[in-house]
Amino acid sequence: MFDLIKGLRTTAKYLFTKPVTISYPEVKRPVRERFRGKHELKRYADGKERCIGCSLCAAACPADAIYVEPAENNPQNPVGYGERYAAKYEINMIRCIYCGYCEDACPTNAIVLEHQYELSFYDRKAAVFTKEILLQPVDKGWGEPPPILQNLNRPPNPPAQMEL
Amino acid sequence: MPDITLTIDGVAVTVPQGTGLVEAAREAGIEIPVFCHHPKLVPVGMCRMCLVEIGTPKIDPATKQPVLDENGKPVIAMQPNLQVACTNPVSNGMVVKTNTAEVEFARKGVLEFLLTSHPLDCPVCIKGGECPLQNLTMGYGPSVSRFDYDDKVHFEKPIPLGPLIDLDRERCILCSRCVRFEDEIAGDSVLGFANRGRAWMIQSKSNPPFNSKFSGNTVDICPVGALMNGEFRYAGRVWEIKPVPTVCPHCPVGCNMTLDMRYRDIKRVQPRSNEWVNEIWLCDRGRWGFHFVTSDKRLTKPLVRRGGELVETTWQEALEDIAQRLHGVVQNFGGNAVGGLAGGRLANEDLYLFQKLFRELLQSPNIDSRNGTLDEPEHDDLAYAFGLASGTDLGQLGKGTTVLVVGADPEEEAPVHLLRLRGIKRRGGELIVANGRPTKLDASATRTVRYQYGHEAHFVLGLLSAVLEGGSENKEFVRSRTKNLDALRTALRPFGVAAVAEQIGVAADVFQAVAQSVAGAENLVIVYGREAFAAGTPLLQALGNLALITGHVGRPGNGVLPIMRYNNSRGALDMGVRPGKGPGYTNVVKEGLTAQQMVQAAGNGKLQALYIAGLDPVAANPASRAALEKVGLLIVQDLFLTPTAQIADYVLPASSFAERDGTYTNAERRVQRFRAARNNLGDSRPDWQIFAGLGRALAAMVRQPALDTVAASAGKPTGKRPAPAQPVATARTWLYRSTDDINAEIVQQVAIYKGASYAQLKSSHGTWGRQAADDPVFYDGTSYTNTEGFGVQWPTLAEQTNVVFDLVFSQPTTPQPRNGELLLVAAPRLYDGGTLMQNAEGLSFWVAQPYVGVAKADAERLGIASGDRLRLSSAQGNVELYAKVDGLVGPGTLLVPDLAEIPLGQVQTGVLTPVRVEKVEG
Repeated sequence: MFDLIKGLRTTAKYLFTKPVTISYPEVKRPVRERFRGKHELKRYADGKERCIGCSLCAAACPADAIYVEPAENNPQNPVGYGERYAAKYEINMIRCIYCGYCEDACPTNAIVLEHQYELSFYDRKAAVFTKEILLQPVDKGWGEPPPILQNLNRPPNPPAQMEL
Repeated sequence: MPDITLTIDGVAVTVPQGTGLVEAAREAGIEIPVFCHHPKLVPVGMCRMCLVEIGTPKIDPATKQPVLDENGKPVIAMQPNLQVACTNPVSNGMVVKTNTAEVEFARKGVLEFLLTSHPLDCPVCIKGGECPLQNLTMGYGPSVSRFDYDDKVHFEKPIPLGPLIDLDRERCILCSRCVRFEDEIAGDSVLGFANRGRAWMIQSKSNPPFNSKFSGNTVDICPVGALMNGEFRYAGRVWEIKPVPTVCPHCPVGCNMTLDMRYRDIKRVQPRSNEWVNEIWLCDRGRWGFHFVTSDKRLTKPLVRRGGELVETTWQEALEDIAQRLHGVVQNFGGNAVGGLAGGRLANEDLYLFQKLFRELLQSPNIDSRNGTLDEPEHDDLAYAFGLASGTDLGQLGKGTTVLVVGADPEEEAPVHLLRLRGIKRRGGELIVANGRPTKLDASATRTVRYQYGHEAHFVLGLLSAVLEGGSENKEFVRSRTKNLDALRTALRPFGVAAVAEQIGVAADVFQAVAQSVAGAENLVIVYGREAFAAGTPLLQALGNLALITGHVGRPGNGVLPIMRYNNSRGALDMGVRPGKGPGYTNVVKEGLTAQQMVQAAGNGKLQALYIAGLDPVAANPASRAALEKVGLLIVQDLFLTPTAQIADYVLPASSFAERDGTYTNAERRVQRFRAARNNLGDSRPDWQIFAGLGRALAAMVRQPALDTVAASAGKPTGKRPAPAQPVATARTWLYRSTDDINAEIVQQVAIYKGASYAQLKSSHGTWGRQAADDPVFYDGTSYTNTEGFGVQWPTLAEQTNVVFDLVFSQPTTPQPRNGELLLVAAPRLYDGGTLMQNAEGLSFWVAQPYVGVAKADAERLGIASGDRLRLSSAQGNVELYAKVDGLVGPGTLLVPDLAEIPLGQVQTGVLTPVRVEKVEG
C-alpha cells in the first residue's frame, strides 16, 4: 500500500514538470551544427555545380555507397567549371553510415552532409538518391570557384617575347 | 657477356655488362626514380630524376692499376657532380649512392621544376591513381609549391592528337617516351616536338594525325596524364576498375590483355605483360576493337525458322529439335550427309567438342574450319612439324638470327609481330623481307626482295638451289634427320639460281646473299602470311625444305611462323576441325569433305544438314547463298545475324570472348587462357555449352550398339558371349560442367596438348615488368602484371630427335592470266571494317575506302586514271571499284584491300585471280 503511494507520488511530481520529450513530427528538434544528415551537392554563387565528378568521395566511402559517372562538359553550356562533371551521382542511403569522409575527400566542397535527417523509404530502390534529389536548388549557391578551376579553360599564354 | 660487380648504397650486386644503373639498382632492391627512362627504350637522360652520386676506382696512370688505400681497398674517386643513372652503364668496382642528402635535394628540385608547369588537376585527370608523377611527388617531392599557379604555363585543354588519342599539353613533362616509342619500337616517326621554351610541346607530324597502329601504347607509357585514351577519359577512375585477364580475339598474335571492368561495362583494354608474346604492347585494333561485344545487333535468343520467318524460341526446344532432325538425317542418309564448319574464332574447347560431336555422334567426317570460298588456302601443317620450337622468344633473338619474311604483311595481319621482328633487327639480327609489294616491314628490313606475284614458290626454290649449289647446307643435320636429298636435288634442277633469277626478275646475287644469310645464321625464323598461302603447298613444302636442309628446326629460336587468318586458326587445326586429320594432327580413317566441297555438295543437294559456327560463307562469297539455301537443315551459331544466319533454319546465339572462359592457341602455338568478364548477353551461351547440350540430346537418341548386337544375335545362340561393345557415347559422357572438364579431356586425348592443362597455363615466372604495386621505378606505364600465366607452347614434331623428315618436292604452279588479264591480289588490312570492328567508332576513321590499286604501267596502257570506276570480272563474277593508280604493285597486278565492304568472294577464283578490267561509267 505504501509502495503504491510512493510510486504515484513520483508520477504526480512529473505531472507538473516540463516534459523532456518533444512531439515529433509536429515539433522538430534542432540539430547540432556539425550534425551529419542527408548529403547535398552544392553549387557556386553563379549556379554552376561544384562537383567535378572526380569520384574521390566514392573512393573515400567506407560503405561503398556512392556511385559517380563522369562526363565531359559542353564548353557552350557547361554544367560546372573545368572539363568534367558528374553526369550521374547516386548515394545509397541505406548503405551510407554518415561518416562524412566524402566531405573530407571532396576537393571542391561539393558534397556536404546537411541537417536533414528524415530518411525513410518504402523500398530499397527508393533509398538510392539520385543527383536530382541531392543537388541544391540553383539560387542557394555560394562562393567563387577556386582559381585552379576558373583557369582550366584559359586560352594559351602567348609565347614569351625575348630580345635576341 | 662478362658480369660486372658494383656497390649500390653498400649493397654489392652483380649484373651483365651493359646494364644501366637503374636496372642494376633494381636488382639490388634499390629504387631510383625515373620519368623519361623506360626499360624498353634507349635511355636519353632527359628528365634528370634519376640523379645519383657515382664513383669509380682510382686508377694509377703509371701502372694502370687501381690505387689501394692503407687497408688494401681501392680508393674510390667520386665524380664531382651528380650523374644520371639511366644513361650510365655499370662498370667494375663502381660505387653508387642513391640516398645521400645531395641526391634527395636534387630530386626535390627536379620535381619542383616539373611541377612548375604541371596543372595539378589530379582530381579530374584520368591518370590520377596510376600516375608516376603523382607517386614520385608523394615519394620524393616537396610538400608545398613555391610557384604561383597563375604563373604556370597554360594551354588549351585536351586537343586531339589523333582520332584515338587526346593530348593535354599542360600536363606533359616532355619526357619523350611517346616520341621514342614511335621511333624506336613502332617505326612510325609520327610524333615530334614543336616550338621551344615554355611553348615546347608534343605534336603529330603525320597526316592523317598520329598515323600509327600502335598509338595506344604511348598512353600506357606516358608517365603523366598528357596522352589520354580518348574513350576512357570520362569512363571512371582507375581505382574503380577491375581488370579481367583475357586474350585478344582479333589476330593470331594472341596478345595478353585485360578487360578493365567497371561493374558490367568494359571501360578499356590494357596490355598484360607477357614477354613471350606481346611484351607490354598492344595494337590499336586490339585496344579499341572490343566494342562489338556490346553491339545491340548481338543475338540474344535462339531463333527458329517458322513459316519463312526467324522467330524466337527457347534453348531446350531448339536443341531438342536440332538433335532430332540431325539424328533423322544421319539415320536416313548417313553421316556423310551432314557437314560442319567451325571457324578459327572459336576457342579450343569449342572446337574440340565440335569435332567430337561430328566424328563420334553424327558419324560424319565432314568438318572444316574454312568458309568454302575459292581463295582459301590449304591447311597449314608446316608449323606442326617445323614451327618455332618451344622455348623460342622472339623478344630475345638478335645477333646471329636471320628472319625471312615471305609474302606476309605483319603490320596488317599481326601487328605486334611487326614490333617483335623489328626488335630482332634492332638487336643485330638480319631481317629479309620478300613480297610482291612494298609493306611497312620493308623500312626495317636489312634486305628487301621483290618478286612477281605468283612466283613465291619459285623464289624459295631458288633459295634452296642457292643453298645446295653453294654447298652451305647443314650436312650433319641433313644426314641424320632427313632423307631423299638426292631426289630433291634432281627435282630442283629446273629451278637453278640462274633460271629462277631470270624467271622472276630477282638478281642471282640476291639469292646467293639471302641463302648465305639463311644458311649461315645461328637461328632462322621463317615468317609467312596470307599472301604466301596463295602459292599453296609447293611454297610451304619449299619453306619446310629450306628450314630442314639448313638445320633450322627443332631448336629454340628456329622454325616457321605462319600468320593465319583468325586468332585461333592454329587451335582449329590442333583440334582437328578439318577433313582428314583428327585432334593433334592424327590421321583419321575417313577423309571428309572440305568446306569448298561441302558448299558444292549443298548445291548438288547431297548435303542434308550443315552446322556453321563462327563462320560466314555467304558474306565471304555471296554466290554460295544459293547452294546453302538448298540444305535441308542449316544451323548457324554466331554472335550476329550474319548473311548466313539470315538463311538458316536455326540460329543459335553464342557468347563473345568477353563472356566466357577458354583457351586460344596463337601463331607461335602458345595455348593461352582467357576469362569471362561479363555475364552472357540475354540468352546467349558459350559455344562449348551449345555443343555439349546438343551432344547430350543426341547421345540420348543414338541407340546403344551393344543392344543392337544382342538383339541381332538373339536368334542364333552360339554359346559365346557377345563381343564387348565399343564404349558408346551417353548423355553422361557429354556432361561438361565447365571448360575445365573439356580441358582435362583435351589434355588426355590430344597428345600435343599434354602440357596445356589449365594449371600449367597459369604458371608465370621471372617476368620483366612491374613486380609489385608499389614499385614505381619500373612503372611500365599502365600495363598489368600477368596473373593468368604465360601459357604453354606445345612442342613441334621436329623437337623429337628421332624423327626423320622426307624432303618432299611439289611442282609450283603460277596462275596464267590470259591475254589482257591482270592478276588480282587481296591485301590483308588490319582495319577491315568487319563484324569484329562493329561499334568501334574510334577505329572507323582508319578503315580505308574501297579501291583497286593499279600499277602505273598498266594504267597508262589501259588509259585508267585515279578515280575511274573499274569492273573486274573473272569466271566467277565481277566487282566494281574505283581505281587508284599507285606504284605499290608491279605491272600485271591489281591490289585490292581486303575490306569487309568489298565482296571479293564474288570474283575470286583462287588466292590470285586473273581478271579482265574494263572501265564503267559512274
